Amino acid sequence: MDAIIEYGDVNKFILELLQDYDVIAPVEKDNRYIFEQVDDPSKIVHNYDTTILPPVKWIYPNNEVLLRFKLSDLTETRPVNAFRNQVILFVHPCDINAINIMDEVLAEEPSDANYLARRRSSIIIGYDCACPCRENILCFDKGCHKADRGFDILFTDLGNRFFVTAATDIGRKIIEKSKAFSKAGYSDKTGLMKANWERESSFTKKIHGDINRLSHVLKDEYDGAIWEAEGRKCLSCGACVIVCPTCYCFDVVDEVCPDMETGVRYRRWDGCQIQDFCEVATGENFRHKASERVRHRVFKKEVYLKKRFGRSGCIGCGRCIEHCIADISIIDIYNHVMERKKGHGEI
Amino acid sequence: MSWKGKRGMERSNLLPRPATITDIRELTDKEKLFTIRLNDGGNLQYRPCQFVIFSMLGIGEAPISITSSPVGSGESFELCIRSVGNLTGAVHKLSLNDRIGIRGPFGNGFPMEKIDGKDILIVAGGLGLAPLRSLINYIIHHRWKYGRVTILIGAKRPKDILFKDEVMKWEDDPSIETYIAVDLAETGWTRHVGVITGLFKYVDVDPLNTIAAVVGPPVMYRFVVAELLAKGIFEGNIFMSFERRMRCGIGKCGHCQINGIYLCQNGPVMSYRDARKLQEAL
Repeated sequence: MDAIIEYGDVNKFILELLQDYDVIAPVEKDNRYIFEQVDDPSKIVHNYDTTILPPVKWIYPNNEVLLRFKLSDLTETRPVNAFRNQVILFVHPCDINAINIMDEVLAEEPSDANYLARRRSSIIIGYDCACPCRENILCFDKGCHKADRGFDILFTDLGNRFFVTAATDIGRKIIEKSKAFSKAGYSDKTGLMKANWERESSFTKKIHGDINRLSHVLKDEYDGAIWEAEGRKCLSCGACVIVCPTCYCFDVVDEVCPDMETGVRYRRWDGCQIQDFCEVATGENFRHKASERVRHRVFKKEVYLKKRFGRSGCIGCGRCIEHCIADISIIDIYNHVMERKKGHGEI
Repeated sequence: MSWKGKRGMERSNLLPRPATITDIRELTDKEKLFTIRLNDGGNLQYRPCQFVIFSMLGIGEAPISITSSPVGSGESFELCIRSVGNLTGAVHKLSLNDRIGIRGPFGNGFPMEKIDGKDILIVAGGLGLAPLRSLINYIIHHRWKYGRVTILIGAKRPKDILFKDEVMKWEDDPSIETYIAVDLAETGWTRHVGVITGLFKYVDVDPLNTIAAVVGPPVMYRFVVAELLAKGIFEGNIFMSFERRMRCGIGKCGHCQINGIYLCQNGPVMSYRDARKLQEAL
């Protein structure tokens, strides 16, 4: 279902959404952007570059309470798995693709009930990118600069109004219920085609060589010197895995409330780059070198997830590059291994 | 994938089942044996070498191998727990009839379907005897189904040997060969002194018909596997159980990942042939 919404009517539409849903949307904060729950549409920024944390973190939040319990009576343990409906607004295609990956990984049996419950309670309204948001991104190489599924509604900027596509029943119902939309005409559809064409020509590739061969090339570089070199730079701070929209590793933590009667069990984000991630109770650390951890992160995205699900786990948003204080860049790592392969005349 | 519509609340895999400690036995100065029964009256339904996630609300969780045999333990099961970390330290302070939580069983367990009619060589180092006791007692229970059964046990000192009473029974059982090695002997110790690999000289195997089961500290595997291969046992017939600190048991949290494998799903038991392909395994 296609529709049109004028720039001036978008806030009206968001006000309608606020009546039925929690609205999570990009807002400006200290010259950066974050996804935040909003109650004032005027705060929302639709033409943002990227957010510090990806929107999927509203479906997979940090310090998420899994259980509430009573210390004196285990039968009083209650799972926390009922959530208010939320709309995540103006999600970029790369982040929509990330949510698709998270869906696939966390729905695989044995599934993650909490993620699925939050996911079912989440409506995704996407916002097409017209051009690259920053320099250090590889969404175009990854084919994630556009999304063909994983959203309920998608906004595309035509320069004077938005072309709106509803992709699911719930998306259609929201548009039909709203007074802010009008029917898309022929000129709007040609405008959409033009916008899509212009987008394709505005992005450039960052990876030297055929990215489809990346996992194969990486496997041959498992013992390469690149990991030692990058490992020397890495501070094991974990920033890259915390901002990554497809990282889902976690730890489970218990906390007793001050009343000493009740408590919560929650999960907090964890990451394979953190030094003690693979430590066991006896003190043995199965991935104790930074070089091994850097390699694991890259392999998990490009080799292991690809083998399991047929697609890379990296959507090319560039957040890990932007937030790395040691200047480790996966684009550089990918290009290094690709160039080495070329040097051997294998690509 | 359709997300909207039915809002079925599947039971969370992260929700522990309430259980009660029905017996506690001190095995050594570091290890205790806990007998546990699920409060809902359910049977755990597990295979040898599977593990559960032991849960103490307010303190946390830890993965623990099941040490009882799946047969003959009725509605209860046993966990051998060494006091080593926060949780296991707290577990050691628990008393009879205390309530705890159990998730699982998790992992693939030992491939029982592959060992019918075979000779079995079991190599247990230290706490590795805990999961292997489940397999040993299962085999004893179905002794007619298997060929020669040989058990090699290694411990630091004689007082560290787990399940001493049972080990003595295995030694006295004419249908089983049992050999024990300790690193440091005490006065009166008449069995082997040295590392567990020193026991292989007593073992005679039919390499075409032998399945090996190996569990022990990480440092042990490389040396034991070398001995097994030297005996001519096939890579695909050597099974090992790997240790990691799983947080979830459902293949999501990432802590038990070895290269592309989640041990809680595709392990903890793996053949040497499969483990050899994983650079992070050995």
